[in-house]
Amino acid sequence: MQQTMTQGMEDGEWARPYTLSPGDTHYHELSHTQVWVTLLEREWRVCYQRVAEDDDQDRWLQSAGQGFPAEDLSEQRFVRPDSGNQVTYQPVMSKLAMVIRPYQPLTIPADSECTIYVGTLLWMRIQVGDKSTRLLELPLADPMMTWVGRNTMEGELCYSAATFARLVLESVPQRPWRAITPVRIVNDQNEPLLLERFNLPTPLLSLHRNAQGQLWTPGVTVYCESGMNSARLRVDSGVMAAAGDCSLVTAAREQPSRGGLIRAYDRMFG
Amino acid sequence: MPEQLQTGFAAFVSGIAWGKWIGVCFLILLGGVLASLAGRGVNRFMQERASRHHTVMMRRLVFYLVLVIFLIAALREAGFSLDVVLGAAGILTVAIGFASQTSASNMISGLFLLVEKPFEIGNFIEVEGRIGEVVAIDMLSVKLRTPDNLYVRIPNETLIKTLVINRSRFPIRRLDLTVGIAYAEDVSRVENILLDLARQNPFSLEEPKAFVLVTGFGPSSVDLQFSFWLPADKVLEGRSQMMVDIKRTLDEHGIEIPFPHTSVYAGSHSEPFRVQLLNPESMTKTGDPDVDQ
Repeated sequence: MQQTMTQGMEDGEWARPYTLSPGDTHYHELSHTQVWVTLLEREWRVCYQRVAEDDDQDRWLQSAGQGFPAEDLSEQRFVRPDSGNQVTYQPVMSKLAMVIRPYQPLTIPADSECTIYVGTLLWMRIQVGDKSTRLLELPLADPMMTWVGRNTMEGELCYSAATFARLVLESVPQRPWRAITPVRIVNDQNEPLLLERFNLPTPLLSLHRNAQGQLWTPGVTVYCESGMNSARLRVDSGVMAAAGDCSLVTAAREQPSRGGLIRAYDRMFG
Repeated sequence: MPEQLQTGFAAFVSGIAWGKWIGVCFLILLGGVLASLAGRGVNRFMQERASRHHTVMMRRLVFYLVLVIFLIAALREAGFSLDVVLGAAGILTVAIGFASQTSASNMISGLFLLVEKPFEIGNFIEVEGRIGEVVAIDMLSVKLRTPDNLYVRIPNETLIKTLVINRSRFPIRRLDLTVGIAYAEDVSRVENILLDLARQNPFSLEEPKAFVLVTGFGPSSVDLQFSFWLPADKVLEGRSQMMVDIKRTLDEHGIEIPFPHTSVYAGSHSEPFRVQLLNPESMTKTGDPDVDQ
């Protein structure tokens, strides 16, 4: 199945309606994931599997054709909500906050600031039919989980991601399954700030797409004035100028609330 | 005589203030209906805004509050003085209290449980060796549903007096697995393998970090404690998958997980064990192999 479908593959695109005929299967290869979406007369079928990490690729390849995925994969079946035969793939940020851990800890000297560019993993939301009914959401790689808090009693569960914490935008790899977030850290303390882990509140971030098809989130600014536990966080209203002309693709999962943000501040640096 | 009875009965029936008693019944009925409606309304309102525990508590509180108000109104309508009723209730309470100390004790314990809140509806608790999900906290007892789907009722008094372990109070838990390896194996190497497993396992949390301790030199093995953290709702899957991974990985690396060995020592003054080799022909015979050839 996979070998037959890899012939004549094209680049996949977020939020674009793909039209299928009954019996067609839409196949995707992106990140560490292979996804099959099949339209039948009265139902939709979705199945996916992970591929080895060594097979990571730079492009999102997709193709449509007749056929079904391998029989040993477990399929999820969904009743067709309406007669619409379109399917769209919407990118969404994770439901839990994402803890960013630089491979090498970064020190920000006293009274100085920096902007690091973080590429975070996306979830694929599959929507079908005329009413864009949501079928499911799947992460495009298996995320690790971690705990952020003062102790094992107070805190929150988060996803964890390692990053190079790149300081130059041009060196950030552009991949369709990652959204770039500029994180500006302002260290107003009299002491250097060692950045070992940073809690990025991904549910508060919306997703925007520029003309090149790259996904961006609004920037996040962290002010660290008197200590790590009292840091303040602000989510920008739009994307940074370097992203170019962008349009909104997916709204943020949660709206920032005063109380919610205060909790996030407490657990920003782990 | 029957005529007199009939007349007396008619006089009794006509003497009853039917309108008043119908009003009393109506108030009690209305109270029941309104209390039920108010309880459901509160339930619907709080369902998405509060925990299951608080929702149930508020629903009951509102239900009984509305019902009691209408009962009092019904008693007044029936002509009872509330002071007399309360006085009678006081005397009755003392009398009942002496007669049913256990129930009273359970009710008071229930109040302490509500105030102290050691667990909520939906939590997994362990009481006197019984593990289960709390499905109800009532006036006299707490009801649990065990993992094998048994219904367990525990008196509130028992919960106040005994040790209660709440397994789902905190969002994360640590699992301690005991891994025994053969004395010939390199402990540091095994330690690194186990920590690698913790890093790869999707249920194991990155922070707090996993660790390995040597806990003892057992009769057959060096005993290690492998500890890692995982979300409280993934304990069963996490434990099972990690144990499968440990067995598979140690097998792949050729590391022996020994089972208890027993050596039989006959003693220095004893004769050596007699060893008798059987020839192949005798093995094919169906008779007793111990029979002398």
